[in-house]
Order: sequence, then C-alpha cells, then structure tokens
Amino acid sequence: MNSKILHLIGGGADIGTSRTFWIGFIIVVILFALYPIQVSEFRASNAAYYLLNIPLGLGMALLWGYCGVLSFGHVAYFGIAGYTYGIIAGNMVGNSFGLIAGVIGGLLASTLVAGVFAYFVFYARVREWIIPILTLVLTILLETFLGQTAGYQWRVGSVLLGGYNGMTGIPSIQIGSFVFMGYSFYYLCLIIVLVCYVALRMLLNSNFGQVVIAIREDPLRTEMFGYDIRARKWLVFVLSAVLASISGLLYVQWGNYITPSQVGLLSAALPVIWASVGGRSSLLAVIIATLILNWVNFTLSAQGNQYAMVIIGTALVITMLFFPRGIVVMTAEWIGKFTNRSNNEATH
Amino acid sequence: MKNTFILEARNVNKRFGGVIAANDVNLQVKPGELRCIIGPNGAGKSTLFSLLCGIQRVDSGEIFIHEHDVTHKQQFKRVRFGIGLTFQTNRTYQDLSVKRNLAIPNPSLAHSKSAHQQSKERMVMALKGFDLDPQDETRACELPHHKLQWLEIAMVLAGFPDLLLIDEPTAGMSRDETDRTVEILKQLNDHGLTIVVVEHDMHFVKSIAQKVTVLHQGRIFMEGNVADITANEDVKNIYLGHAH
Repeated sequence: MNSKILHLIGGGADIGTSRTFWIGFIIVVILFALYPIQVSEFRASNAAYYLLNIPLGLGMALLWGYCGVLSFGHVAYFGIAGYTYGIIAGNMVGNSFGLIAGVIGGLLASTLVAGVFAYFVFYARVREWIIPILTLVLTILLETFLGQTAGYQWRVGSVLLGGYNGMTGIPSIQIGSFVFMGYSFYYLCLIIVLVCYVALRMLLNSNFGQVVIAIREDPLRTEMFGYDIRARKWLVFVLSAVLASISGLLYVQWGNYITPSQVGLLSAALPVIWASVGGRSSLLAVIIATLILNWVNFTLSAQGNQYAMVIIGTALVITMLFFPRGIVVMTAEWIGKFTNRSNNEATH
Repeated sequence: MKNTFILEARNVNKRFGGVIAANDVNLQVKPGELRCIIGPNGAGKSTLFSLLCGIQRVDSGEIFIHEHDVTHKQQFKRVRFGIGLTFQTNRTYQDLSVKRNLAIPNPSLAHSKSAHQQSKERMVMALKGFDLDPQDETRACELPHHKLQWLEIAMVLAGFPDLLLIDEPTAGMSRDETDRTVEILKQLNDHGLTIVVVEHDMHFVKSIAQKVTVLHQGRIFMEGNVADITANEDVKNIYLGHAH
C-alpha cells in the first residue's frame, strides 16, 4: 500500500524520479520554508505573490501539457473566483462564515462556468485549434463586461464591481481572529502549492492520468480502446479551471483588490508563456518558470520599469526558437543523458 | 428471427460527395471466423472498417455487433461491445514505453466478462508469439516497423475484444514477418477470436483466409473461399491487375 502511494508520487509522469532528485526537492522545500526567517515581511509577501500564481500555471500544464488542449483564457476562472469571493465575503463582513462562503462560492462559480463551457466545447467535438480562440473570447468578454461596471448601479449588495478601477477592500481570509497576511500568507501559499504539486503528480501517475496522456498522444486511438475521451477532457478542463480559481482566490487575499485587467489579453497570455518557457509537459518545469518569470516581472515593474513584458516576450521567443520543449524540460533531459552516460562509463 | 452473427452490416451506404465508398454493403461474420476483405485501392475497405467501428457514420443501413444494433452508437461505446480495431497507419503511442502502451487499454470496459479468462490466455499467446515484453521500458518509436504493428495488435487484445478488425497488418513487413503474423493470428483464431482482416498482400490472404470478401467500388463483388476467389477471372481482372 505504502509503496503504491510512493509509486504514484514518484512515477514517471514528471521529470525527476531518482533518489538524488527527491533529496534535492526536499532541500529546496526546506529552503523555501526557511526563507521568511531571513527576510522582511514585505519581501515574504512578494514571494507569496510568485507562489500564488503557481496553481494557475499547474492548471495550464495539466490541460495543455498533459491533455493536449490549449486554453488561452484560463485567467477567466482566476477572475471569476476572485470577483465572486469579493462579492460574497464583502457582503458578509462580520459573519464568521463569510470568508469560507466566499471561498466555496468562488470555486463553485468558476467550476460552473468552466463545466458549461467545456461541455459545449468537448461534447460538440469542436476541433482542437478552435478551442484556444473560444477560451480567449470568453475571457475578453469577461474583461469587457467588468470594464464597464463603473458606477453605483453596478453593485451586488454592498460591494461595488468598480469598472476598470476594480473591486477594492476585499477581506482577507482568517481563522477566528487569525488573519493570513505577510509571513503566514506566505506559508499558506507554500503549503497549497506543495499540495497541488503532489496531488497532480499522483493523479497523472494513476490510470486516469495515463489515459489523459494517451489522449494527448492520439485521441482517436484512445477512444478506440473504449474510453469516452469527451468526458475525460471535460474533467481535466474543469480541474484546471479549479486550479486557476485557487490562484484567483489567493490573489484577492494577497492584494485585497482585483481589476478587469487580471482577465485581459495580457494576463491571459502569461500562463501560456510560463508553461511554454518551462516546458508544458512537466509540472515541476512549469512551477520553476512561473516562479522565475513572476519574480522578473514583479521586480522590474516595482522599479517602475516598463521592460518587464518585453523581457518576458523575449524569453518566449528564445524558448520557441531554441528550446521547443521548454528550457527546464530540455535542461533536465540533458542532465539525464549526461548522468546516464557517466553511469555507463562507470560500469564499463 | 435470431441471427447468429458476431458482426453484421445490412444495406450499408456511404457517400463522400460524388464518391460512393459503400454501396449497399451486406456483410455477415460468424463467431470464430477468420475473414479477409480484399479489393483494389479505393474499393472502400478501410471506409467499411470505420463505418463498422463508428469512426464514420453510415448514410443509411444498419450495423449489428453481437446482435445489438449499434448504428447510432458512438465509437467508444461500440468498442465496449467487444470490438477491437487496429489502424491502417500504425497508431501506437510513439512517445510512451511499450509497457505503458500495453497498460492503456482497459479490460474492464470490455463487454463480455464471461470470456475474461479466454481473453487473458489470448493476450499471453500474442505477447509470446510477437515477442513483446509487457515490462519493456523501451519507447515505442525505437521499435522496428513490424514490432510496432504487432504491438498495436497486442494493445487491442489487451482491451479483451472477441472480434478483431485489422487493417493491413503486414504492409511493409518482410516475408518472414508476414508468416509470423499469419501464424499468430491463426493461433488466436483457433482460440476463439473472430478476426476480420483487410489486406492487399495475396500471399498473406492465401495463407490465412478461410473465407474472402472482395470489395470493388464500394460494393461487395464476390464472396467465397480462397481458391474460388483467386481462380475467378473477374476478380483477376479488377484486382490482380489483368493477370493471364
């Protein structure tokens, strides 16, 4: 039983299966856990921002990298969850269930939208290359709608949607009187990221995940083994939307605001870039790329620098030209080959 | 009236624009048969297979598997009635290991649970005959062509069908490899598996078939045993390239 769980976590669905890898992984996790001790609360909070985007990136890896379906609009679910949380929690200020209701409501709302959308896309057997366009249209529609909600008439209960200025004063999550912010919010994000990563690795190493990979490799062949690939793609789409929602919920905790630009074209492109640069067929690669690119973006933007997007765009172009399977993935392949060769030489 | 066919097509028609791919096709396959379907290029052999499996839908006519009307069923549901298909172009999962290729098909989706033990024995037989190791971590794309064809047959058998449709299994194989394929398919057939093969190679057809169906321009031209078919002048004219 125990070995079965270990096999699910450590199986070959992601890069890194050796003992050395796992020792390194644990060391890195410990370093991340120790990081806040070294730095100010402000910097820990910035690091939390890099972490909170990771579930969104993992959702892209799951859907695009492992199932072969590209969504260019997953930020829509990020936004729906964030806005819904803001509306519910904002209306229930003072009620101890308000924040939990906001989290559940946010997840439910984006799951519902993703479920209906994906039903029409997959059960109508829409062609693969149309899906990115449809998803992009959905998120731009959402941005356009939210953008025109300035004014007092656009309020839900006591919460203003706020047009392009966005929704402000969104309450942070708390347990009793303990509010997650600064250091504690960093740890909340770190734990959520770890749980998402391990759970996804287990899912992808399970039979379900193996069939998802088979669908990516050859949908018709997989269907001719008796699998209802529509149902599986639907489920994977919804699951990745839930991951995007988790990021959305964490984002509104972090900044206590959300604006329509979070679901706009630029934001929509970012998760696709993280997945491409890291290597979409690996969860860990996407995590690394998400962390680094967000750090670059955030650091440059915080200095009032306008070049952040130019640099990230350049990273994308370099990746597509020289690292078609992603920088992290191809580096890992190279390391794998190198260690294999030296192992072989050692045995000869 | 109860029919006793494992696979039956009744008056099946299919057009693609002006091309008639299936013209009033009636095909009946009994349990335990090993049938070859032959015909020149464009005769509609592969189209017939995709109509039977549901990859394409018939314009008119009916299709039965195990006496169930599956005419309006989606392809994955037809597979669950115990039908298995290999494609004309090899469709193993090239980037996955042999082990994982063989682990993808799910026996629990198969229709007939009663034949489970028999199916398992067939699977063992095929793996042994085709010299495939279910624990092999080699990536499929590193295998030679004939091994890939065999792997796809073994994968389909791993889903425990009792009816196997094979589309040109020996295309591109050497004579020895073809003979090996014939031998294994015969063994599987002796073990109760119904097999329908589309094939071009007359050597293959002569060494395997009990009964042969000749398709020509979407129509069933002739049906009979191998000797009769190969001796027939009309068949020679349309198919064997006007041999004299």
